Amino acid sequence: MPEITPLLILGGVVALIAIHTFVASTRTWVWKVLLGLGVAMFGVQLYLALKWVPPDREMGDVYRIIYMHVPQVWMALLALTLNFGCSIAFLMKKSWKTDALAEASAEVGVYFGTVGVSLGAIWAKPTWGVYWDWDPRLTTSAIMIVIYMGYLTLRRFVEDPEKRATWSAVLGIISFVDLPVLWYSVRWWNSLHQRQSSPKTVDGPMTMVLRWSATAFLCMLFVFIVHRFRIAYAARQREVAPPEALPAAGVVS
Amino acid sequence: MIASIALALLQYQPEAQAGVVGSGKIVGGWEYVYVAYGLTLGGMLLYGLSLWARRPKG
Repeated sequence: MPEITPLLILGGVVALIAIHTFVASTRTWVWKVLLGLGVAMFGVQLYLALKWVPPDREMGDVYRIIYMHVPQVWMALLALTLNFGCSIAFLMKKSWKTDALAEASAEVGVYFGTVGVSLGAIWAKPTWGVYWDWDPRLTTSAIMIVIYMGYLTLRRFVEDPEKRATWSAVLGIISFVDLPVLWYSVRWWNSLHQRQSSPKTVDGPMTMVLRWSATAFLCMLFVFIVHRFRIAYAARQREVAPPEALPAAGVVS
Repeated sequence: MIASIALALLQYQPEAQAGVVGSGKIVGGWEYVYVAYGLTLGGMLLYGLSLWARRPKG
């Protein structure tokens, strides 16, 4: 398979996400295409990552966890960056759609972050000898998960939709401070966790499989956020609907 | 003579210590790989199901 293949697919996925975002009439089918593509790519991914790509010189086969660990942490960072953007946008211009997107991106970000960090712990055991170490990268990752769980908790405990949206937007902006610290922690401090690799430091087939995996996860990230957004936005509409728009007493819908 | 032996002892580095980090290779460990992949795929399936269960009705 040509090494450029995942980049071409990634370009197509990004284009479809842009179409979904800017052309409202496509929102009924774009997510289905990306869900199908994501599932198909994961099927191929199992072969590529577990069989096709060679083992690492030092970590042997254990390093294959990278193809699940790294893209999921990337997806968490992407989703939480979207949450940051939505938080700023909401404070500049109040919109229930922006608030719902902030909620959706935070939950999906916490999901991918939790699984990604858990996989890092699984990988750490055979390579470092321990599941966990309070080194800068791991500590900032744990802080990220705890902060955004707090963000989601805040959203559940504040009943007034306006207060909830405003307070969580402020918390979303403050919480984001941890993300650049997490990213640069391996450069700023003497970390047990390795520095970020680049295509210059990784063999071509390994880079290709990592890109393939990241593209598959991007499809799933998009599908998850779209559906979580619909849940959050429907809840917002119910909360802020004028009394005459609500069902009459005794009518259960 | 004694001084040269002492110097040699001071300079002695066991082979394991002299080897740079990364000179070994991890063998096996597939069980960790399978758990990681299972957690990922199972987790996505469960999270997807939770979204479907919470979908807006009507």
